[in-house]
Amino acid sequence: MRRTALVGNPNCGKTTLFNRLTGLQQHTSNLPGTTVEAHHGKFKLPNETIELIDLPGIYSLFAESDDEKLVVQHLLGEGVEKPDAILLVLDSSNLRRNLLLQQQLQDLGYPTAAVLTMQDSAKRRGLALNISHLEKQLGLQILGINPRKDRQLAAPISLFLEKLLNTAAPELPPNDTESKLQRFHSGEKIKGLSLETLLRYNRIESILSACQTQESFGWKSFTLKLDRWFVHPVVGFLAFFAVMMILFQGVFTLAEGPMTWVEDAFAWASAGVESFLPQHKASGLITDGLLPGLAGVVVFVPQIFILFFLIGLLEDSGYMVRASFITDRLMRKIGLNGRSVIPLVGGFACAIPAMMATRSIRNRSERLATMIVVPLMSCSARLPVYVLLISLAIPAQQFIGPVPAQTLVMTSAYFAGIIVALLIAALFKKFHPSQERSEFILELPAYQRPRLQTVAQQAWMKCKSFLQEAGSVILIISVALWALSTWGPGDSMNQAKIKAEQAVQELECPEDLEPSEFQSQLESTFRLEASYAGHIGHAIEPAIEPLGYDWKTGIALISSFAAREVFVGTMSTLFQSSDGNVSGIRARMQKEIDPHTGKPKYGIAYALSLIIFYAFALQCISTMAVMKKETGSWTWPISLFLLYGAMAYLGAFIVYRWSLGFLV
Amino acid sequence: MPMTADQLRNGESAVIASLHEGDYRLRLAEMGCVPGTRIKREYQAPGGDPIAFRIDTYLLGLRLEEARLIEILPEDKGGNA
Repeated sequence: MRRTALVGNPNCGKTTLFNRLTGLQQHTSNLPGTTVEAHHGKFKLPNETIELIDLPGIYSLFAESDDEKLVVQHLLGEGVEKPDAILLVLDSSNLRRNLLLQQQLQDLGYPTAAVLTMQDSAKRRGLALNISHLEKQLGLQILGINPRKDRQLAAPISLFLEKLLNTAAPELPPNDTESKLQRFHSGEKIKGLSLETLLRYNRIESILSACQTQESFGWKSFTLKLDRWFVHPVVGFLAFFAVMMILFQGVFTLAEGPMTWVEDAFAWASAGVESFLPQHKASGLITDGLLPGLAGVVVFVPQIFILFFLIGLLEDSGYMVRASFITDRLMRKIGLNGRSVIPLVGGFACAIPAMMATRSIRNRSERLATMIVVPLMSCSARLPVYVLLISLAIPAQQFIGPVPAQTLVMTSAYFAGIIVALLIAALFKKFHPSQERSEFILELPAYQRPRLQTVAQQAWMKCKSFLQEAGSVILIISVALWALSTWGPGDSMNQAKIKAEQAVQELECPEDLEPSEFQSQLESTFRLEASYAGHIGHAIEPAIEPLGYDWKTGIALISSFAAREVFVGTMSTLFQSSDGNVSGIRARMQKEIDPHTGKPKYGIAYALSLIIFYAFALQCISTMAVMKKETGSWTWPISLFLLYGAMAYLGAFIVYRWSLGFLV
Repeated sequence: MPMTADQLRNGESAVIASLHEGDYRLRLAEMGCVPGTRIKREYQAPGGDPIAFRIDTYLLGLRLEEARLIEILPEDKGGNA
């Protein structure tokens, strides 16, 4: 299959075009540096199918950051196959700067053609272009398109690309492309390259003066009017704070309805399955293991979708770049960069894409520091844990001053992560000061109306991959957990039954429970305690007791080191809430009594301690794997795992002791 | 002492005369900050740093130390450097 690579400046619409042509849903947004890896897709030409390669945006072939280097590697064919042709994407509203890359590329000998995007915004800036003149001047076939709006893009582009692929590449001496690219790659002769760039701009200037006219330099734009507020010293920061608040509040209020539907659907399915299956031990695998485990994940899809959707809107409108702009000064002081804000906010959704998004930060220390603190942003996988624990221990009607106590605890959990992240970054800077130059140099794209449909589709894609990944982890863990909690060593399970019968005689039945219910609850508690899972839980209990956790929590804690969202599923399996929803587990946990004291087991100190533990601990194998890939070794992921684990333990201990003395 | 871009006030424009030597020179040139280009200071972040400039047809955010490397001339005198 022949390959065509999409090359162009950041934020000129490459990925939007790629998605249109291939039908894929790669992440697009209105900020430079959205694409940080190569995407591959298929596109049909009249007589063949070709592979399209979407590459990160670059301003020039002089590559410094990892996303820029990736483009040069593709053009060199380093570790990948070279493309057969290049489709250059040119932003018409910024033609002068875009043509620099065109000038550099044309020396490389690839068959090249160009598409012009953003002609509407060029018009708004008073720019008029004669395309056929430009074609002649550049010796390049050019097609004007609008990948955001044109529904009929495939036909003209397939003809255009077919023609391109059938043009013979210009004859060049062997290894000419390589030697030309190496010049940029080595990056040693910056002085020479600067001079070359100035000369290229001279040529561009003379080309453009022949085919582009500009009405006036005056520029009354909507963007500037909005920016007056968004970068205002007072209003700007208030707006940033308000945007974040709306983000978090929206996640809860908007998701409430859909979450109940999912819960109801699972309760209904679970009841159906239970009546359908024969009474057999193996049926328990489905009703007590799989279903509650899955429900524990699926129920949070609405929240995760809304979180991704709202962050998507912020990125697609162009606001996130302004957030970078106003925070750069502060971020610089603690060894980060204004650009770090984008991955950090993205980290509230998921640390994995956020780690990759740091590629566009050029300074290696700033990039590393950003990656180090990204896992401290409370990601969507922690939401389920927070929601369960908060609703378990804090009544919805309780207020602290004018603020609902539940909201206050949730906000504090997020802020605990943010504040610690800033502190860690500052410490990192102190002990690991950067030797490289730090730069900001960031294009501020014009605001645009967010593409609701696109943002929604992309948020849904992320939910799907969350479901697939979490789903498979949960599948394995819930089966293992079910087996471990169904069987026990020797005849311990039989003895548990006898013990439970004795306990029923000795303990008083609580008033709100039927005696039969009380007996079956005690029995299942004793059986679980006697099972393999119980033995494991009891083995680690001494280590977690100072934090206020019992052995059941211990099992959930261990299983969520694979992925945090497993916590809720595990708890629902352990508490045998077969309807598997939050209120079901919560009801079970609230009813849970200490068999030795007869009092409720899971109070507010327990919940706060666990929330802090989850806020800090690095319980995500995928995040560690991505960090290993991005940093090139296991040193950082393992060090962070240990450091954040220790912080989680210490933090949970302090919070537990403090709230025991304070709140109960 | 020639003027540099950071000394412009919001809303003022000028023409780029030259770029100081150094590591940022290439990056600035690539972003279109080359002699002869019109530059206009649009606004700044709280605290006065970074600053948003219009370079020809687009907005570019630069830190103070980056803007200091861009030497400028009043608009009527420049244009063909």
